[in-house]
Amino acid sequence: MEINLTGIVVVVGNYGSGKTEVSINLAVHRKRAGVDVRIADLDLVNPYFRTREAKGPLSEMGIEVVLPPDQYLHADLPILSPLVAGMIRQPAELTLLDVGGDDAGATILATLEDAFKNRLIRVLQVVNPLRPFTETFEGCLKVRKEIEQAAKLAVDGIIGNANLIDETSADDIYDGYEFVNGLSEQSGLALEFITVARELLPAIDVRRFSCPVLSIERQLVPPWKKALPFEKQSPSG
Amino acid sequence: MGKVLMKGNEAIGEAAIRAGCLNYFAYPITPQSEVAEYLSRRLPEAGGVFLQGESEVAVSYMIFGAAACGERVFTTSSSPGISLMSEGISYITAAQCPAVFVNIMRGGPGLGGILPSQADYMQSVKGGGHGDYKLLVMAPASVQEAVEMMMGAFALAEKYRNPVMILGDGLIGQMMEPVEFPDSLKAEPTNKDDWATNGMATRNRKRRNLVKTLYLDPEELNSHNLMLKAKYEQMEREEVRYEAYNVDGDYRVLIVSYGTMSRVCRTAIDNLKEQGFEVGMIRPQTVFPFPKTAIYAAVDRQSCRAVLCVEMSMGQMVEDVERSVSGRRPVHWYGKCGGEVPTPEEVMEEVRKIVK
Repeated sequence: MEINLTGIVVVVGNYGSGKTEVSINLAVHRKRAGVDVRIADLDLVNPYFRTREAKGPLSEMGIEVVLPPDQYLHADLPILSPLVAGMIRQPAELTLLDVGGDDAGATILATLEDAFKNRLIRVLQVVNPLRPFTETFEGCLKVRKEIEQAAKLAVDGIIGNANLIDETSADDIYDGYEFVNGLSEQSGLALEFITVARELLPAIDVRRFSCPVLSIERQLVPPWKKALPFEKQSPSG
Repeated sequence: MGKVLMKGNEAIGEAAIRAGCLNYFAYPITPQSEVAEYLSRRLPEAGGVFLQGESEVAVSYMIFGAAACGERVFTTSSSPGISLMSEGISYITAAQCPAVFVNIMRGGPGLGGILPSQADYMQSVKGGGHGDYKLLVMAPASVQEAVEMMMGAFALAEKYRNPVMILGDGLIGQMMEPVEFPDSLKAEPTNKDDWATNGMATRNRKRRNLVKTLYLDPEELNSHNLMLKAKYEQMEREEVRYEAYNVDGDYRVLIVSYGTMSRVCRTAIDNLKEQGFEVGMIRPQTVFPFPKTAIYAAVDRQSCRAVLCVEMSMGQMVEDVERSVSGRRPVHWYGKCGGEVPTPEEVMEEVRKIVK
């Protein structure tokens, strides 16, 4: 089972669900498969831990990163680069939009309504059931509804991202899979893939999953830790 | 309940609820607005009250009012907001009301920036407002520690009838770590009938309580200040908390660092150890009361040649470190402020520089 996403993919979810880490790693995964990838940081609501922090490693992989102008990089101002509408009108093989958290973060998508018109796009909701407000199906579907209303776009898939960062256990991954699988059945939303941290992957039996697995090489780390450098080739699994 | 993955700001809000505090008044400011956002959802569920004030000045007096009525209450803000609250904090301290203030520090002075900083150390431990007063100030280095300090803060505030401050930096507020909320830290309600204006009908004793800060009689004001001073001295005897790291061996340098900055130092210490260079660390968990005695004792080690204070400011805590070391070893300072956090490599280089 492979992740075969192409076209325009919009990554949404509640605060801290892991949208940015997933987007960065998805971009790298697809690039390694030979796909031309462009990623835009649309997080206008949170000033910390954004895609822009991984710009260096992504650029080295040959992934184009679209950010607000330099002078606004450290601001919490609602600045949307005009390049974003352009990249939707003339998309790369895979165009990834990493959106800010909750309905507040997704509001930005509504301003791109014209650019999205008549385009086939995928809108994927990242779910970490170990986060507040998304530990139940009802919670996840409430977040979905709020995001859809703010974004004026329909969510059409789920990304399972169960984790406790460094303290994630194999059971957290299996329980997280069961959760998003159940959520997929109840909501009718496709379960696109789940994530597992690279260092945890050897301990996981991926045959237990009916969906692909994205290996996460963590990039957004506090200053006392080092981000895992991306390997040019996909790590096993 | 197992662990959950939370942002520091969310965890601080949840910790207050779990400790038994259901009153939260605040005004949003980056990088701590998620506390308000989280509690605007959670407090109504928990049967509590969240009120957004029209400014931080207003918030500080809403806190004063609620605390004077015997209610458990807290607020959160970031540096410029705490400056605005400082007048109210002085009043609350004078009136001996328990309350909890959280400062998720950002770069200053002025509007400064929105990235992490520790430049409000002096403001927090030396009094940002007027008059002779002290806050009991705790500085967490992880999200779990922020939870535990927050849950413990209410009992301490009530023990001393004095505001307690949780001093975190932007990283504590914004980063995510797995946390749990120990039931054992729930603060039991305390009886406030002796002083709180909580209504005659609810009390056994039919005497009016008056909460005030005005003492026109000089002798009375002097006695009031002596009584406050005695409380701060009691805090210095009973509430000092610190963590010692890598102090069993013969360390050549002692680092003093607090909050998330100390985690960078810890990585630097581990790396230096691999290179055969021993460095110890005292991490103040309370910055008032300050672990003077522990630092004084730690520099006594014969192998210890110098002290390095590392902080995200232009050199504030270093004054307390110098005071603690009392001239027995040279005290150096390293820091940055503006939002850039010093890296482990930079700290390692500083350590090597001072014992060349």
